[in-house]
Amino acid sequence: MAEKIQLIDRLQLGLAVAVAKTVTFSVKTLRLGAASVLPGEIARRLQPQLLQLLSAQVKRGVILIAGTNGKTTTALLLRTMLERQGYKVTHNETGANLENGLMTALLEDANLIGNLDIDYAILEVDENILPRILAPIKPRIILCLNLFRDQLDRYGEVDTISRRWGSAIATLPLDTVVIPNADDPTLCNLGQQLSQRVSFFGLSEPEQYLEEIPHAVDSIFCPKCGHSLDYQGVYLSHLGDYHCPQCSFKKSQPTLDSRQWPQILIGLYNKYNTLAAVTTALELGLDETRIRACIPNFQAAFGRAEELVVDGKKVRILLSKNPVGTNETIRAVNQMGGKTTLFVLNDRTPDGTDVSWIWDVDTETIVERGGTLIVSGDRVYDMALRLRYSQPDIHQPLNLIVEPNLQQALAIALEKTPAGETLHILPTYSAMLEVREILTGRKIL
Amino acid sequence: MDIELKIGWLYPTLMSTYGDRGNVICIQRRSQWRGHKVEIISLDQNSTIAEMESVDVIVGGGAQDRQQELVMRDLRGAKADTLRAKIDQGTPGVFTCGAPQLFGHYYEPSVGERIDGLGILDLISIHPGENARRCIGNLVIEVTATPLAAELKEMTGSTPYLIGFENHGGRTKLGKVQALGKVVQGLGNNGEDGTEGAFYGNAIATYSHGPLLPKNPFVADWLIQTALRRKYQQEIVLAPLEDELAVRGREAMFKRLRVAVE
Repeated sequence: MAEKIQLIDRLQLGLAVAVAKTVTFSVKTLRLGAASVLPGEIARRLQPQLLQLLSAQVKRGVILIAGTNGKTTTALLLRTMLERQGYKVTHNETGANLENGLMTALLEDANLIGNLDIDYAILEVDENILPRILAPIKPRIILCLNLFRDQLDRYGEVDTISRRWGSAIATLPLDTVVIPNADDPTLCNLGQQLSQRVSFFGLSEPEQYLEEIPHAVDSIFCPKCGHSLDYQGVYLSHLGDYHCPQCSFKKSQPTLDSRQWPQILIGLYNKYNTLAAVTTALELGLDETRIRACIPNFQAAFGRAEELVVDGKKVRILLSKNPVGTNETIRAVNQMGGKTTLFVLNDRTPDGTDVSWIWDVDTETIVERGGTLIVSGDRVYDMALRLRYSQPDIHQPLNLIVEPNLQQALAIALEKTPAGETLHILPTYSAMLEVREILTGRKIL
Repeated sequence: MDIELKIGWLYPTLMSTYGDRGNVICIQRRSQWRGHKVEIISLDQNSTIAEMESVDVIVGGGAQDRQQELVMRDLRGAKADTLRAKIDQGTPGVFTCGAPQLFGHYYEPSVGERIDGLGILDLISIHPGENARRCIGNLVIEVTATPLAAELKEMTGSTPYLIGFENHGGRTKLGKVQALGKVVQGLGNNGEDGTEGAFYGNAIATYSHGPLLPKNPFVADWLIQTALRRKYQQEIVLAPLEDELAVRGREAMFKRLRVAVE
């Protein structure tokens, strides 16, 4: 993977890196806030080929992780597996997944003249920029987790995104490895079209099928011919076991048998994340026994099924930023039998400013189960209305507490959580950062 | 009298990508909470003309461009005629974003061919190109359409302001059809002429997601009332519901947007 760098590039690279590092230092020292994007942006202006020059120095290759949900958790698990085998790994762990976020992560580990001494880089990549960064990065592995509709105001259509992924990946060297989710018809089709090496991951556990297809479903049409797909069963959203009754399209066989593998954390979506990381790790030649050893004690990424203890009570934070993700976190809370749940809905830029999506979430199950529901956030009343309208019978008791002030909402939620029970918090992205800041008393970014 | 309301939902799997099923849920629950029987009928590829004829109120939502094309491929011939006749005759409904675009003469997407609409509403919609800015943000309008504005005012006792969220690439120009209202905050139909939505017969067309009805429950009740009046040929008195959450949500949003309402 490592390539020789021209002297002139080397000089420019050195300058760019030095400036960027100075900026990082200043931002952090002066406590200006997030130092995860700005240095990369400044360096990019100084050295257009920076991403390419830095990526080329990663000894064993760059692993890109793309998809709507699960990037951070999957990246963290894979990183754990690699680091436990003694590799040095760079990872854009703050979740900044646009070009300058990727550059900032690589710069962080470069020395002052731009030398990068690492074995692997794991880069979480925004679905829209993936096609643009493939040529400069020349990844060794591309992991395609899933494609759901995410922030309505920011993202294009699922079909369009996968088409753009496919045509960009097709131009890469044939020894590039692509690991798509076989259960996602759009991504399965993408994998089937490629001449690159493809290894699928997916579930083969019919007992996990949902009883009915949830509402927040994006793609139930055959990506090849447009006919409605026949599902033997659905695991979550449009992920499942399917075939097209009209053309020859059907789900590809995953490389691993999912029943042979335990999972990290809670929720079926984390089984997907586990299988994705394991398939990648095996592809990189890691030892299976050592891979397995990383699963039971896996520490969640911040806010992703992360568990904290606050005032002697257990708190589990489940990032809930789009309809599919929220359906799955609600399913997990229901399975855990959580009695107290706090929803925090914000509408800032990182959350998506359009909160209409909460009406595509099937909130009825958690309301039906009873328990105490607390709502907060910028759009506290939107969330409260969603929960109220989940009730078929107005006379049924609804234990709903509406508290716009997050600090107070957290205090009430903790107080309402019986001893020995867990408080589940379902926040959007910026809300998750606020919740953590209040609960842990420190900033994470 | 046992009251039953049949809600027709246009292409639920193809045209409900922006939370617009919240409008269906809102009408459904408000009727159920009053003890009415409710049936939700999907009006899609698999439904019959008889089913389409049977519904009392119709809801249509936003769609992505590809889905919109699939809908138009199906919504032709007798099916299109039935829907057109129902709207012409005054079946109440609420149609958001993609739905009114389809009810107009045509929609020109940013790429690809012009999609012919049903021509129910005298309007056209054009996407100004992939590089044009989407119209995104909180939307407040004052309803001005007649007789809707007066009827809503009578129900609530105050000027009818609607709160929503617009999120559209296409721009709509109205012909002879009257606007639903005038923009107080946001962009509305095209960001130029200050109009938002359209009103024809008893059909409300709007760019407002949010979804529209839960935050503007009096519009939901107007739709229910109008549907029941037409169905039972008499005035059905709707029991009042406690709408404190919506009231507080509206106050908070007006305050945040610094919109002064009477």
